[in-house]
Amino acid sequence: MPDAITIRNLTKTFGPKVAVKNLDLSVPQGSLCGFIGPNGAGKTTTIRMIMSIIFPDSGELSVLGKASAIESKDRIGYLPEERGVYRKMRVLPFLTYMARLKGLDAGAAKRKSLDWLGRMGLGDVARKRCEELSKGMQQKVQFISAVIHEPDLLILDEVFSGLDPVNRRLMRELIEEQHKSGRTIVFSTHAMYEAEQLCDRVFMIHRGVKVLDDTLADIRARFDPKTIVVEPLNTGETAVQRRFPDIESTLRSFPGVSHVERDRDGFSLGVAEGAEPSRLMAELAAAIPGGVRRIELKRVNLEDVFIDLVQSTAGQHVDRADLRNPAAEEEPAHV
Amino acid sequence: MSKTLMVARREFLATVLTKGFLLGILLPPIIMAVALTLVPLLMNAAAPKTTGTIAVIDRSGLVEDALRVSLNSDAFQARRAKKMEKAQQKIRSGGINLPSDPRAEAIQKNLASGGPSLSVIILPRDADPEKEKQPILSARVRDGDDASRSQRVALVVIPEGAVRMPAPVGADKEPAFEHYQLLTAPKLDIEVQQDISEEVDHAIVDARLTAASLDPKAVRQLTTTPVTDTLVITPEGERTDNPVTAMLLPAGFMILLWISVLVGGQGLLMSTVEEKSSRVMEVLLSAVSPMQLMVGKILGQMGVAAAIMSLYSLSGIGALVFFSQSHLLDPMLLVYTAIYFVIAFFLMASMMAAIGSAVNDIREAQMLMQPIMIVMVIPMVLWLPISRNPNGMFAQITSFVPPISPFVMVVRLAGSEKIPFWQVPVSIAIGVASMIFMAWAAAKIFRIGVLMYGKPPNLKTLIRWVRMA
Repeated sequence: MPDAITIRNLTKTFGPKVAVKNLDLSVPQGSLCGFIGPNGAGKTTTIRMIMSIIFPDSGELSVLGKASAIESKDRIGYLPEERGVYRKMRVLPFLTYMARLKGLDAGAAKRKSLDWLGRMGLGDVARKRCEELSKGMQQKVQFISAVIHEPDLLILDEVFSGLDPVNRRLMRELIEEQHKSGRTIVFSTHAMYEAEQLCDRVFMIHRGVKVLDDTLADIRARFDPKTIVVEPLNTGETAVQRRFPDIESTLRSFPGVSHVERDRDGFSLGVAEGAEPSRLMAELAAAIPGGVRRIELKRVNLEDVFIDLVQSTAGQHVDRADLRNPAAEEEPAHV
Repeated sequence: MSKTLMVARREFLATVLTKGFLLGILLPPIIMAVALTLVPLLMNAAAPKTTGTIAVIDRSGLVEDALRVSLNSDAFQARRAKKMEKAQQKIRSGGINLPSDPRAEAIQKNLASGGPSLSVIILPRDADPEKEKQPILSARVRDGDDASRSQRVALVVIPEGAVRMPAPVGADKEPAFEHYQLLTAPKLDIEVQQDISEEVDHAIVDARLTAASLDPKAVRQLTTTPVTDTLVITPEGERTDNPVTAMLLPAGFMILLWISVLVGGQGLLMSTVEEKSSRVMEVLLSAVSPMQLMVGKILGQMGVAAAIMSLYSLSGIGALVFFSQSHLLDPMLLVYTAIYFVIAFFLMASMMAAIGSAVNDIREAQMLMQPIMIVMVIPMVLWLPISRNPNGMFAQITSFVPPISPFVMVVRLAGSEKIPFWQVPVSIAIGVASMIFMAWAAAKIFRIGVLMYGKPPNLKTLIRWVRMA
């Protein structure tokens, strides 16, 4: 299957600053790709180049088989990070206008706008001015304007920023639905949880350079931490003080455990080379005095990979809280 | 419909269908029309009706007979009618034909009946002015019909020396006539006052002439000439030149062009800044290219400006036809105005689009607007010297300097003086070239500017953007 987006050796500079450097990227058709990277990594610049809103200094780019997105604009849905609505315009005319700009005729534009508004539970705001809508409603209207013309390729820049948990879930469902109907979707985000939930492929850039480009399964295999997390059952204040030293010494001398780290609720154990994790877990569960509340083979999460990559390439400190808390994301939604 | 036209259509409707725009555009002509029809009515209605008597103490005894005739109410009304007739004649000779309006005639009749109703009392020659002026104190001149017809509103005291030359007081003094006194009640209608003093002047001069054994009528005939129109001799023939219309027509055309270009340009600036600050810009750019967006916006606002222009110029042409002055309009002038409008508008709009795309809010735009506004004031300042001397060195030079050249050319073309024909195509060519250049430069700034947020650029940065990419 041909790729929806192919990027070869793409470079873009703004004055002295190199925004994107020698970037290669392929987005297979029908895939759902997460595009991650720290603030200022060059995600929005890359997306704008894909959309032909700005132009690269060098390199090649092909979108839906065309040399430039301008030629296939009507087949692309784009939700920019800097997104807004005409404040004074009413919702229905705004959507019909956007739909018509994307090539729908007047009748279809109106019909589909009304359909979508109904589906999103916004049927009663069609006659309202855009400025009267809440932020979440405006986000939904913007999403409608990105997908109303049933594009083959959907590019969503920072789609989860500024959404509350309910709307984040709604957005996730909408993206999944679009994916199921066969569209290629690329979305950039800081929200690792959403990326992990949705994507079948992830690429990451840092300081304009690609540092990760793989399927989620491969990433999990590659970054497998080979760590077992153990949480003993007795965890009262006194119990920890009294019993944990015993448990810790038991674990340290346990065959198949390479090292032991203690954290708040229990321990992280390194699986020694050659040891079989599933058997080790069964043995551990039986051996720990007092039994265990939880024992699991730790699964790599995207957040760890992200921070590892950022720190290994830059020694840059990344606060994990930034990645979890939607309110602390890069920028507030521009609505 | 192409995307550019769709953008243009939205831009036009979004601008035109706002209350502010409709009020701003429709209100001035309405106010003007109301002012033109209502104010004269109000002024006529407001003329106070003066009732009472004018007392005359004529110590010479030579003036009183004349005043007995000229200061009574019939004479006042006759003079008013004559004045009005004269004014109308003047308007007609100025090239403006007032349509015969039955309402106007009704007003005139009404005026005649409502004029001052005054009578004259000739007091004894030796009456005491100090005593005779006392009755004036009790006059109620503003009460109109309620006032008594016998109340005294004015007292004229004519000394002997006003008519007969008194003997000089000293040997070195030139002999001189004495002056007369006019004492009036406060708030006496100014027109009545002027009328009284004019008539007294008149009667005194006549009395002096008669005393010198001259015929006043003959002297008047000898000392006045009828006013004639100035004829302008041109190779095409003789014509009466009307300085008012000759100056006003060019000014009208220029102001029309100026206002519509400025309103359209301002609208473009506002809507671009709004699209940027509400962050709808990039959403639009996902569907249209920056060039399509800019050109669409410019065309939409050009529609707005053209609508203003045609609304105002159609009412102007209507007025000219109404006053039978349509011969002042050369159809070619309308064609040229349309061409220069497109040039002026595109120059202005390109600058506004560039500025609007580069800034974050309207306040920052003001800073960059300053130089443009200073340039735009130039045609307003130059209008008078240029229309006075359309072929002067200054007018000729500025005809080739965009962005003011379209305004200057419209003033020159609308004036009565012929200008060298080659200057028209040359100035149009320069205008079109600069228009293309400006649109090109603006497109570059627009493409970079629309997605730039943060510190607003200065003029130097804008020029760098133009040279970039």
